[in-house]
Amino acid sequence: MSGTPRGEADEAFAQLAAFISEIPMLPWFAAAGATLTPSAIADAESYVAALGLAPCPVAPVAGWRAAADIAQRPDWSRDWWHAESAHEKALHRRGAARFGLAPLLAALTDVTETAAVLRDRAADGLGRAGVDDEALAKVAGGAAAQACHQQALALLAGSDAGRAFGAKYALFAAGHWPLGIVGGTCFVF
Amino acid sequence: MSVAAAAPIKSVDALKAAPEDYQLAVRKIIRSHAVNELYGARVYDEPAIALAPTPYLKWLTCRIAMEEYGHHVRFRQLGEQMGIPEAELTPEGRKPLSIFEFPLKTWEEFCVVKLLADLAEIIQVEDLMKCSFLPLRNLAKMTMPEEIFHSQFGKDTCTELVKTAEGRKKVQAAIDHYFPMMPAFFGKKDSANNALYRKYGIKQRTNEDMRADFLTRVRNLVEGHLKLKLPEVAEAA
Repeated sequence: MSGTPRGEADEAFAQLAAFISEIPMLPWFAAAGATLTPSAIADAESYVAALGLAPCPVAPVAGWRAAADIAQRPDWSRDWWHAESAHEKALHRRGAARFGLAPLLAALTDVTETAAVLRDRAADGLGRAGVDDEALAKVAGGAAAQACHQQALALLAGSDAGRAFGAKYALFAAGHWPLGIVGGTCFVF
Repeated sequence: MSVAAAAPIKSVDALKAAPEDYQLAVRKIIRSHAVNELYGARVYDEPAIALAPTPYLKWLTCRIAMEEYGHHVRFRQLGEQMGIPEAELTPEGRKPLSIFEFPLKTWEEFCVVKLLADLAEIIQVEDLMKCSFLPLRNLAKMTMPEEIFHSQFGKDTCTELVKTAEGRKKVQAAIDHYFPMMPAFFGKKDSANNALYRKYGIKQRTNEDMRADFLTRVRNLVEGHLKLKLPEVAEAA
């Protein structure tokens, strides 16, 4: 562990272990298409603000087909995606400085391996909606796994810069799928 | 008489009683798959996430990268059970295929890699689905549905891309770049390794046979379906 007191490292990795064990227990995609609660809207607003982006309306998405269409629209916000990538890189640097690159990568690999099951959870959600679409199950599973990766980075970096990913993960943990900013609107399925 | 003709080998424990050259042959195949699945995920699938043109395709590519990594994990776990040193199951310890030496620059290249390289992988895995070493046969059966999806992804995305003149040009350029490396993927003609694999029923087909099958199937895809040109290449490696 590079430059980090043993106790602090133990605490961070214990926190990460708890996070990983929680992943299979959450109601992934169970609230997809449901009305957005004030709490979900607040999480979406916090997510956008913490990425350093201008406030924008938060809108629900009615169904899986509509979610797939939104995720393929050409007017998606490059600023949103780049802001996420910049935050990821900053957190990665900080995590590597705290614990060393190899332990960081090993921890992130554990997260990725656990998150592999999320395609199945997405397929369950699609099945409940009567939609048979393997590609969309993989898309949703990929988005959820990316959110797990980002939240793990935030936990290991132990930095305020991880707030955006905390808010995004809270949406997934509540059963939604945040689709990002498209056409100036933050869509939450 | 071959081991396959005598009896399949049902477990890693049973493998210990197999002839030494049978064990070595199985180790070679597992090492190769473990190394190349991981290296492919690193040099193609992960970089392609940034190149994908929509969030839908970025997340789908993210999932594909995870699945390719997952294939590495499964081959690595089997290798570890067989006592193969961990270092020999990663690209750091073993030289990967030469196709991986050409870094990805565009989304079109990624789609073509999935179209070509994943079809080549399917042909290899199809052969292992009749493998005399049952843990390897089972692994091939487990990974095959995902390999088929990846190859179909390559076909679907290339089909979309060639609908525009600019897309056709870029897909053709990527095929011209990557296709000449593909025949070597199947190994040398009259390969001693391949003869050993067939002697024991670990593999069923010669390198030449699999290469010819690949060339037929890829020609149907590229010239028959996409209406593009497949470059001329030397068919024998």
